[in-house]
Amino acid sequence: MKLAFFGVRGSIPAPGPATVRYGGNTACVSLRPESGGLIILDCGTGARNLGINLMEGAFGKGQGEASILLSHAHWDHIQGFPFFVPLYQPGNKFHIFGGAKSSPMLEGILEGQMAPQYFPVQTLKNMGATIDIVAIAEGKPFEVERCQVRARMNPHGRAGALAFRIEEAGRAIVYASDAGYPAGGPSADALELYRGADVLIHDSTYTPEDKKRYADRGYSSVEDAVSAAIAAKVKRLVLFHYDQDYSDADVDALCTRGRKMLDDRGGKDIELTGAVEGSTLTV
Amino acid sequence: MKVRFWGVRGSLPVPGAKTERYGGNTSCVEVRSAAGTRVVVDAGTGIRKLGKELVGEGEAGRARVHLLISHTHWDHIQGLPYFSPLYQRGNKMSVYARKRDDLHLQAVFASQTHDPYFPVPFAEADAAIEFKELSDAAKFSIDDVKVACARLNHPYVATAYRLTADGASVVYVSDTAPFSDILFEDEFVARPPSPGAELPAKDRQKLARMREGVVRLCEGADLVIYDTMFTAEDYQRIPHFGHSRPMDAVGVCAEAGAARLALFHHAPERTDAEVDAILADTRAVADKTAKNLDIVAAYEGLELELGQH
Repeated sequence: MKLAFFGVRGSIPAPGPATVRYGGNTACVSLRPESGGLIILDCGTGARNLGINLMEGAFGKGQGEASILLSHAHWDHIQGFPFFVPLYQPGNKFHIFGGAKSSPMLEGILEGQMAPQYFPVQTLKNMGATIDIVAIAEGKPFEVERCQVRARMNPHGRAGALAFRIEEAGRAIVYASDAGYPAGGPSADALELYRGADVLIHDSTYTPEDKKRYADRGYSSVEDAVSAAIAAKVKRLVLFHYDQDYSDADVDALCTRGRKMLDDRGGKDIELTGAVEGSTLTV
Repeated sequence: MKVRFWGVRGSLPVPGAKTERYGGNTSCVEVRSAAGTRVVVDAGTGIRKLGKELVGEGEAGRARVHLLISHTHWDHIQGLPYFSPLYQRGNKMSVYARKRDDLHLQAVFASQTHDPYFPVPFAEADAAIEFKELSDAAKFSIDDVKVACARLNHPYVATAYRLTADGASVVYVSDTAPFSDILFEDEFVARPPSPGAELPAKDRQKLARMREGVVRLCEGADLVIYDTMFTAEDYQRIPHFGHSRPMDAVGVCAEAGAARLALFHHAPERTDAEVDAILADTRAVADKTAKNLDIVAAYEGLELELGQH
């Protein structure tokens, strides 16, 4: 399986010289299973560049098909959707999965972003591609692009965000963005979802100090990410969803601290990477 | 009067090395009179940094911001929930935009910050926020700043603003298509008009009046900030997206006798080098048709001082 990072930032895109190295686009990761197909994790502004790349292949001819997994509908996880060009190519097919009480409710959430007061296309119906939208149930496995997927809701401020585990031929990738655990850390269900993953992409919005200042926002610190990685015995931890005000130097420091915490707390064998926009990771 | 550009991009923010110089944040321009009145036009992602400056500038708890919204497409409002002064008691903000029959202005911002899209509803913001709806050709004053409006040619309709203070005027014209091939109203325009198709007479007249209104708004302005998102090729391909070319802006400015034009609302795909080239081309052509017009390409951080000081 091959991961590619198109947006690694949280809350709001952060353009400017200070974020050029890690990138300023909001959350979007693509996953290509060995069996072919394409899974897209969240649709922050990074989805625009992913879309441009995809148009060079089958999606440019209206022969593309992909599945989109949405962790939740805060802007930084859906704001790239209207600018994802393959959605405007008739013939392309998209299957969208996300958390909502019903599929029509999930569709309504996505329609809300396309409404005429906000966007000239006015509705998903004007986009051109075939789009089906499915609300998923927590815990229950389902198949996406010939991979097994399970989802668990993590607390995230007043809301929740789904974490996804995607498995193919004994390999597992977990995407856990926007996780605001209570004082005791992740739930047993969440840890079970993360357990032994080859890659855990985990919310690392803050330093431990900033986490204390902004505890009510429902994000993880690098320390929370490290603790989850150690408790779940994952093989590699990828820090993700950096605060919009963190410069490249700040994120470097976040990674250094994460590495040291892993080493000091029994996670020496866990690899650590800070997600970089434009980078790939093969499992 | 001081004009500062906080976001100059159209459509969506585009971080990255290729947009580092002109900036990747979406539309936001701050105008400040010598007396200190602060008017902000549009709340794209650029407004976030202005907000950080305001809460740290000794204005905390007494910041007064007047926000004029050209229209409520995302790239003109998406920064507002991240504008720190909203979350500080004592601050006051007035939001102005064109009145619509189908939707109250307040509702547009309420759903932007509503569950499941954003964790803090507008109604819970600590600052005092009021909404003021405007007619197409409204004229009013914000303390010492005089404001005049004109309608623009953009899907779902947009408003241009002229701000006058300290004996100087700046006009913000974004977003708009030229006033020639399509009349935009509220409906979705699915495809470009067929080549050579002629508009109905009443549409042509309406567009001519609209253009006349914009020219009059720009008359003698010290600075005109204009949506020049499209190249000639872009316009050829997607005229129904509702944006102008640099030469459309030069035409309006020349007719209005404006002193300076700022190319604005750069396309997301435009690299810094491409904006440089567009600026050079526009200057070269304008040398023949609008000799006295000074032309700049707006970049994030650009500050222009207008009028006597």
